[in-house]
Amino acid sequence: MEILKISKNDFYSFLDRKIAAKESKTIGVVKKGSHYVFAELDAASDLCLDYDVTILPPKKYFQPPKEVLLKYVPKKPESYVAVNECEPITIVGIHYYDLAAIYLMDKAFSEGERDENYLKKRENSLLIGMYPTKPQKNRFARSVTKDQGRKVADIMLTEIGGNLVVEILTPKGKEYLKDAKAVKNDYSMKELEDARNNVKDDQKLPLAVELVPQYLGNHYEHPVWEHFGEKCFSCGSCVLVCPTCYCFDAREEIELSLAEGKRVRVWDGCMLEDFAVVADGHNFRKNKSSRFRHRIFRKGKHLPEKYGYFGCVGCGRCANSCTADIAGPVKVFNYMEENK
Amino acid sequence: MCENCGCTETNQKDDVQKNSIYLPEVAKLTQKKKMTPFDSFFEFQLKDRPLGHLPGQFAEISIPGIGEAPISISSGPSKDNTFEMVIRNVGSVTNAIHALEPGESVGVRGPFGTSFPMNNLKGKNLLFITGGIGLVPARSAILYAMEHRKDYKEFFILFGCKDPSQRLFTDEIENWKKRDDIAFHETVDRKENFPWEGNVGVITTLLPKAEKLDPKETYAIIVGPPVMYKFVIMGLHDLEFPDEHIIVSLERRMKCGVGKCGHCQMDSKYVCQDGPVFYYHDIKHLKEAI
Repeated sequence: MEILKISKNDFYSFLDRKIAAKESKTIGVVKKGSHYVFAELDAASDLCLDYDVTILPPKKYFQPPKEVLLKYVPKKPESYVAVNECEPITIVGIHYYDLAAIYLMDKAFSEGERDENYLKKRENSLLIGMYPTKPQKNRFARSVTKDQGRKVADIMLTEIGGNLVVEILTPKGKEYLKDAKAVKNDYSMKELEDARNNVKDDQKLPLAVELVPQYLGNHYEHPVWEHFGEKCFSCGSCVLVCPTCYCFDAREEIELSLAEGKRVRVWDGCMLEDFAVVADGHNFRKNKSSRFRHRIFRKGKHLPEKYGYFGCVGCGRCANSCTADIAGPVKVFNYMEENK
Repeated sequence: MCENCGCTETNQKDDVQKNSIYLPEVAKLTQKKKMTPFDSFFEFQLKDRPLGHLPGQFAEISIPGIGEAPISISSGPSKDNTFEMVIRNVGSVTNAIHALEPGESVGVRGPFGTSFPMNNLKGKNLLFITGGIGLVPARSAILYAMEHRKDYKEFFILFGCKDPSQRLFTDEIENWKKRDDIAFHETVDRKENFPWEGNVGVITTLLPKAEKLDPKETYAIIVGPPVMYKFVIMGLHDLEFPDEHIIVSLERRMKCGVGKCGHCQMDSKYVCQDGPVFYYHDIKHLKEAI
């Protein structure tokens, strides 16, 4: 690993050259009203590296809200053609917890059957990560992630003073930065560590993340599920904004001319009422409380048991987006702890 | 060159076709027969290869413009390119399949999922307990066991459905009844106004027919609607069947078939890959299983 240093001004000029070169689409965090979003950058000056959290996580670039899987002529199975739309992208300024979420998504889409619609987009991406510089009232990322996010980052940035310390983590990252005016880093590891940990989380999980799978196993029957579940509007906001929710549905879209159709995959979520309904109408998770429990179990027990990593990265988006104010995992675990 | 990622366009296209786990193959409908007011029998034929399924597996069948649905395969493993399904007309995809005529085509992905462990059951008695459309996936194992009849000892089939109009594979059932190496018993929940001389009562009322089977030497295979499992398993426990000797095939919404979309999740299992066939012993501790 190579560690360099670049002034913020030089980094922004470098990004402008990258945007102009159009080798890949440059995406970064931009301000939208009082919130932040990931969007394509027209100029580096639009980039905002000092943000709390984005409305949607960067998963939308790898598993778009709507993505074409197949094209066809309606009612002609001989015409099925697989589609995999992707283009080279660079994403600048992804917080480490969102990188941890991408690490988990990579596992989910590559283990067993390889989902090339996701994996090709990942292959064509370069990720530039960073550590949060602003607090966020529902964030508890340090309780539930370690450094797995760094495993998917090509470059990590840490801001110290007016400079960015640049850790180059992959050959792809090195190639990307080859024309940047970066110099040898002269900050100490301690200064680097301090800068990374400058902003503390506002929330904390009340128990160690390693203990959660077993803890949930012991709390399958608990008033918490009904207590929060009955307040749920089944709107699905919590799963739509979640960086580790990747469940999907497939739908057909046909041109008005009936000459061409597409099978598209769209985001879906286990908090929506009909998620587990089978053909004859039986709903395997009919009650709101069973859906509420399933979401927490999937994050806290099923995904850790399947992939070895906690299924929630503590970004706090679900808590931010929940109308009923029940979705945040910290709130759920606190309630269980208080009502043993 | 592809303007996006620099690869040659043809290469990219070939790769995309080869590597997509969502691209169906084409199968032609070769036979179709009505079985009940809502269930029809279909035989499909793939162009270049046998489907290569094992008893109990399923495939995703799709109609371009309508959608895709998981369907159990009802034929035994086959060396030719045909496979059979019995499809209940309950939704838009199955409705469109029912509207097809022989010679028309569907898309197929699969086979998917686990199968009945027929090798592990060798030398034992078989007790099939099937409810309604559950006979469809069970038939793939029944046909396999008939083909390898000498590998198994006693061979019992119990079949129950709502009323006599919903009986499936009636011609085959007549043949099964005539065989002296198979014990076939059936019942209907309600006789309604149909001419029916047979048993009336839920599927568990047939369990005493299997009383003579030594549970330690017998494997019970249960396939039916979700409500059936609990009661049948209780009945088998009364007969002192060990949980290791109870095999179930479970239904969930298996949308993608490849363990990604999340719809068929049952605790930490994906039914489309870890199932649909499970030993009851392996899933009885799961909260969402039965």
